[in-house]
Amino acid sequence: MIDHTTAVVLAGCVLIGATSGTAGAYALLRRQALLADAVSHAALPGIVLAFLLTGERSFSVLLPGALAAGVTGAVLVQHTVRWTRLEQDGALALVLSVMFGTGIVLLTVAQKAPQASQAGLSSFLFGQAAAMLSGDVVGLFALAALLLFAVAALWKEWKLISFDAEFAASLTLPVTWLDAALMIAIVAAVVVGLQTVGVVLMSALLVAPAAAARQWTSRFGTMMLLSVAFGTLAGLVGVGASNAMEKGPTGPAVVLAASGLVVVSLLFGRERGVVWVRLRRRTKRRGVMAEQLLSALAQIAIQHDDPFEPRERGLIGADQLGAEEYDDLLALLERRGWIRCVDRYHWALTPEGLDAARRLGHQRGSA
Amino acid sequence: MRARKQPLHVPHDPPAVHIEDLTVAYHDRPVLWDIDLDIDTGRLAAVVGPNGAGKTTMIRTIMGLLRPLAGHVYLFGRPVAEQRRRIAYVPQRAALDWDFPASVLDVAMMGSYGRLGWFRRPGRRERLQAIDALQQVGLQGFEDRHIGALSGGQQQRVLIARALVQDGDLYLMDEPFQGVDAVTERAIIDVLRRLREEGKTVVVVHHDLQTVPEYFDDVALVNVRLIAAGPVEDVFTDENLRLTYGGRTPYLPSLRPGAPSPESSQ
Ligand SMILES: Nc1ncnc2c1ncn2[C@@H]1O[C@H](COP(=O)(O)OP(=O)(O)OP(=O)(O)O)[C@@H](O)[C@H]1O
Ligand SMILES: [Mg+2]
Repeated sequence: MIDHTTAVVLAGCVLIGATSGTAGAYALLRRQALLADAVSHAALPGIVLAFLLTGERSFSVLLPGALAAGVTGAVLVQHTVRWTRLEQDGALALVLSVMFGTGIVLLTVAQKAPQASQAGLSSFLFGQAAAMLSGDVVGLFALAALLLFAVAALWKEWKLISFDAEFAASLTLPVTWLDAALMIAIVAAVVVGLQTVGVVLMSALLVAPAAAARQWTSRFGTMMLLSVAFGTLAGLVGVGASNAMEKGPTGPAVVLAASGLVVVSLLFGRERGVVWVRLRRRTKRRGVMAEQLLSALAQIAIQHDDPFEPRERGLIGADQLGAEEYDDLLALLERRGWIRCVDRYHWALTPEGLDAARRLGHQRGSA
Repeated sequence: MRARKQPLHVPHDPPAVHIEDLTVAYHDRPVLWDIDLDIDTGRLAAVVGPNGAGKTTMIRTIMGLLRPLAGHVYLFGRPVAEQRRRIAYVPQRAALDWDFPASVLDVAMMGSYGRLGWFRRPGRRERLQAIDALQQVGLQGFEDRHIGALSGGQQQRVLIARALVQDGDLYLMDEPFQGVDAVTERAIIDVLRRLREEGKTVVVVHHDLQTVPEYFDDVALVNVRLIAAGPVEDVFTDENLRLTYGGRTPYLPSLRPGAPSPESSQ
């Protein structure tokens, strides 16, 4: 049985994971991962200012402040790039440090304030899942639903501006507005996770599910689905793990779970995972070597009256290849039905093998 | 195509592209200066000029993506803003992220997005159009391939297929021949000629001066200003090319037969 608090945290983290997975896929594909980091840091002064103005500690009250500051940060970055000689990376570093620094200063001011409720405001730095209320979960749910709706409604438009904004503009799509809407969606996804995950780690949670998903597929739709699934899974696993640890830090656990998914995917992802890519490369290399061996064998065979009569095994190739590799390639050729291993010391070309050798020779000649 | 110094004589069909007094600047620095140019309907026209001459800028202005400092562009006799749907566009290949998770068919189908309008997804019809367009550029069988797993020439052809799906009346192509081999170049030029036969107008930014006379009907020589424009046989002269490329006279064996080739002089 899980108690009420745990249920709230679990629901909240799953929703945060899902929205992160959705918005993060766009952020990653548009190469805005670092922008998301700047946005999450930039949100801090907004949160503290909202607190100073209202004296309330509830996340729903602080959220508009975070959103406004986050959007301000994103816009500042873009304008810095446009109007100064700073490049994107410089602008990001500048905006991030200036706004985060301001946030820290404001935080110090807030902590001197008389309200008792300011306690725990600094938990926004590293997140505090236990602070989540059931009202927050309702808000998160509404946001996730809205995001889902927007993604469905603007599916092809958001996909197109992420791939080729200029072409989108040539189709008379309102690229500026679509861009702004997508930016707001990303900022919103960042900001809603701040209370739970914290300013410092939030962008990692945003990007990780998408980065993991990309290792498994090269299709946009599949990547989106996987990204959402991975985000959700990270939420589940993170909460589970931190519960098992007794008072383990929930936010960081969720981020760690997501990062774990990234590591596993980088290694074993079906599309680009290191292991598969290596394996595919090896298979391909073996295939090419087998084909080369086949044409060498065929060349010897056709010099005789009966190309299909058995020949001695050590005749060719063995000096360039290791004995084991040579055996291995011959076995591969036999599996493909291109040669017959008559006994341990003889092989014979098959008619299929001769055909294949001719075909390969032809391909190579025309390429 | 003509550089309009003298007024138009007979009023017939409005030209596909009509550029008047056009000046375009990025941050106050003029990149195109006082351009007057007409491109007639149904012609294959090349835009030629050195790097940084403003060719891409000209294409983008024709599409209405840049607001000119002065002057205006009319397409088929009406302002650009009303005619943008009749444009099909092939951007410079290098400007795109080929790592993006999309298949060849996905990208080709993007040509239908403008027609589809809001909230509608491409369906069976758009699929068939895209498959047909891919076939026209010789990419049948590549539909499910990831775009990153294509050669440069194949990527270029995907972009052309996407423009074919757009089914415009005016095709604007930014360096479609860049980095493609002879076979692909043939395939692309065949597509362009087929478009011309269908009465479309095709404007191509082109860098290979040697093939201009063979491929194109008209040529516009641009270097910030319009140096010359008109039928290739009239304006594609050594003199005009020297004016376009400044002191650096481009090497043109087709116009100067008997000149030693750079390879043989080494
Ligand atoms: N977005 C931009 N902001 C500022 N300046 C620009 C921008 N785009 C182009 N320019 C400048 O405008 C000039 C013309 O650029 P344009 O891209 O139109 O040249 P081009 O003829 O297409 O050159 P290329 O053959 O290299 O493609 C160049 O000097 C370039 O530096
Ligand atoms: Mg250009």
